[in-house]
Amino acid sequence: MYIKLSNGKVYDPVHGINGEQRDIYIRDGQITRKPSSNTKIDKVYDLNGKIIMAGAIDIHTHIGGGKVNIARMMLPEDHQADLVSRTELTRSGCGNAAPSTLTTGYRYAEMGYTACFEPAMLPSNARQSHMEMADTPMVDKGAYAMLGSDDFFLRMLSSKKDQAAISDYVGWTINASKAMGIKVVNPGGISAFKFNQRQLDLDEQNSHYGVSPREILLSLIRAVTELGIPHPLHVHGCNLGVPGNVETTLDTIKAVEGMRMHMTHVQFHSYGTEGDKKFSSGAAEIAEAINKNPNVSVDVGQILFNQTVTASGDSLHQYAGHWHAHPKKWVIMDIECDAGCGVVPFKYRDKNFVNALQWAIGLELFLLVEDPWRIFLTTDHPNGAPFTSYPHLIRLLMDKSFRNDMLSTINKEAAKTSTLGSIDREYSLYEIAIMTRAAPARSLGLKSRGHLGSGAIADITVYTEQKNKEKMFSTPDYVFKDGELIVKNGKIVKVVNGGTHILKPEFDKGIEKSLKRYFDDFQTVSLGNYKMHDDEIIEDGRGKVIVQPCM
Amino acid sequence: MSTLVFSLKSKPTFTLDMSSITPSVLEGLTLAKIKKLKLVYGKETVTVDSLFNVKGKYNDSIVIENSCNKLICVGKGLSKGTITVNGDVGDLLGQSMTKGSIQVNGNAGSWIGNKMSGGRIDILGNAGDFIGAGLPGDAFGMNKGLINIHGNAGDRVGDRMRRGIIIISGSAGDFCGSRMHAGTIIARSKVGKYPGSGMRRGTIILDRKPAHIAATFKSCGILKMQFLRLFFTQLAAMDKEFETFNKLGPTAHRYSGDLARNGKGELLILKSKTK
Repeated sequence: MYIKLSNGKVYDPVHGINGEQRDIYIRDGQITRKPSSNTKIDKVYDLNGKIIMAGAIDIHTHIGGGKVNIARMMLPEDHQADLVSRTELTRSGCGNAAPSTLTTGYRYAEMGYTACFEPAMLPSNARQSHMEMADTPMVDKGAYAMLGSDDFFLRMLSSKKDQAAISDYVGWTINASKAMGIKVVNPGGISAFKFNQRQLDLDEQNSHYGVSPREILLSLIRAVTELGIPHPLHVHGCNLGVPGNVETTLDTIKAVEGMRMHMTHVQFHSYGTEGDKKFSSGAAEIAEAINKNPNVSVDVGQILFNQTVTASGDSLHQYAGHWHAHPKKWVIMDIECDAGCGVVPFKYRDKNFVNALQWAIGLELFLLVEDPWRIFLTTDHPNGAPFTSYPHLIRLLMDKSFRNDMLSTINKEAAKTSTLGSIDREYSLYEIAIMTRAAPARSLGLKSRGHLGSGAIADITVYTEQKNKEKMFSTPDYVFKDGELIVKNGKIVKVVNGGTHILKPEFDKGIEKSLKRYFDDFQTVSLGNYKMHDDEIIEDGRGKVIVQPCM
Repeated sequence: MSTLVFSLKSKPTFTLDMSSITPSVLEGLTLAKIKKLKLVYGKETVTVDSLFNVKGKYNDSIVIENSCNKLICVGKGLSKGTITVNGDVGDLLGQSMTKGSIQVNGNAGSWIGNKMSGGRIDILGNAGDFIGAGLPGDAFGMNKGLINIHGNAGDRVGDRMRRGIIIISGSAGDFCGSRMHAGTIIARSKVGKYPGSGMRRGTIILDRKPAHIAATFKSCGILKMQFLRLFFTQLAAMDKEFETFNKLGPTAHRYSGDLARNGKGELLILKSKTK
């Protein structure tokens, strides 16, 4: 069956196509070359003047796993205030900051997203994360396994085990938890918190294991490189949210010595200590460092003014932030000595100096980092803002006068100290296509996604060009998933399940011997039960496993 | 001057969400428009005139006639005006209301004044459980205002309440004032087991000694309490029906607790015969 998308303006950065009128042909869920003229075209969509992009990919969004569920349980008011009733096609749900799984999937698809990646899956929570992701329809999913504060790894590192063994353990973890990459959260800091340390700098030692975040970082980056994981190590650095952490972030970039690294929600790591309030923007320095180091990619973690909930594995800094909880309730917990988690609801206010400056810092980063291939559009959902505010964020980036209007409404002092007003850059549609489609796909090693060339999976979004970019990006005309029309005029017309991207890196199975001993001695589950199988994701055909190749 | 009167045509089969029938929503609407307002009825949405006969004119107050316990969320988010209900009413009466008053000439369901932060609710009949409480997951229940129950109340009156006054003239159920953060509950007849269980601060004034007081409450003896004199004088001045409070106090047997939390709350027993 052939589908033709005729005469649309195509934005496909992978092939350098910038708004040219093209026809796109879909056959059996894939984009193909133009068929011979006597081939029957079953369905033609006349897209004259419409904008065609690949389906968007969210590289960092907390949609599954223990912490999201805690956030859901803790915030009934979030659910009561935002009820979604069932329709003929879709099921009911609720929630704004921490929406229910089904609602999450529907809302992503209605915004033109076709893949989402959960960044903080604890290996011991992998089963639940995958079950939640299986319940998130419409989009493809994937998750990064969280390492760096788990007992087994820190034991290995402090007893100076060789890098090969650590790489084997990392490879084993990816296989056992069905992950798509490795994330490190506050390297060693979550563990340090349990030994009563309340902060941990890059070269400070964990008081129990005697290892520093720098060693953890380097060891994990080497492991990721050796295993050939396409996505570089996903780093949530030290000192999140601490004024003056710009130094730590710059040191971290220096520490990796040119090896590939992805720094996540870098907005929270770009704070200086200048000014009367000892809080200032370090965006310019960070952006300069990113521009100079082609090995580093970032996502921003933009904040937007609203009630939301911060859910992070970084229990150390979530504990530090719990004083600002709004409403006043919070959870900090340990999970299986694997890592931890902290959930603190938060309300970002535009009249608050710190929040307003955070907002400006995020936008400064977006606008000062020159290469859109290395900066991705995220709000670190739900930590900076719910993902539903992406269209608003895109408008802020593409429309200077709108941005300056918003700037004039925030806290006066913050607006004065920020350089945001003097930045003239406006993102083009081509650059938006890079940062939301092509670049995340390339960073994750998804060869058949994020572009519209022949052989790509037909995940396609069609927009009508409008002056108001927020409107434009919040209601796509058509969204195709695997060649099927799933959304029309911003409303779901067909519910699909989406698959789960995983990796199967090669490693020495001998590591299971020492793991078995460790599990028998210390863990609450046995090694055999800890490991997940593909069948658990497939679950009677509801899910689908998509194995991505390693490099 | 007539008021807006909604009289129920027949008893509904399903629960009927009345949250959109408040003075602030109806203000400025014509009668025809009010009749076409949508209400959530069970799983469906219906117009007002399919269930109610509506007559009268808007003047900041609403009367609901022939009411029954299927009507939920009456006066939800009420911010001005009055609502009078003739007949029974269901759960969540006056939920999150901030101002204004509600009077029910009949019985009410559970969760009355849930999370209310101002205004006054009067129930002439009996009421269900969790009066002035917070829903599961809420940090606090009632935040301000006054709830006056003429009849009996169910269990867990004022669960997690934070501020405000609840007066029960009839009997109250078990765990009256459980997990209270602050505020005042007055039970003018008997109460069930373990009043004030888990309370942090706040005052529970009881007419007589309950059958069971938790072991985590400690007797402080019979005291003459100036607080009670001031409080009762103030209450009596508020409303004619509260004038009988002038005859109460100021002597009371004080128990402090719940010591399992921090012991800053108190039970004050007015008619105590213990030494």
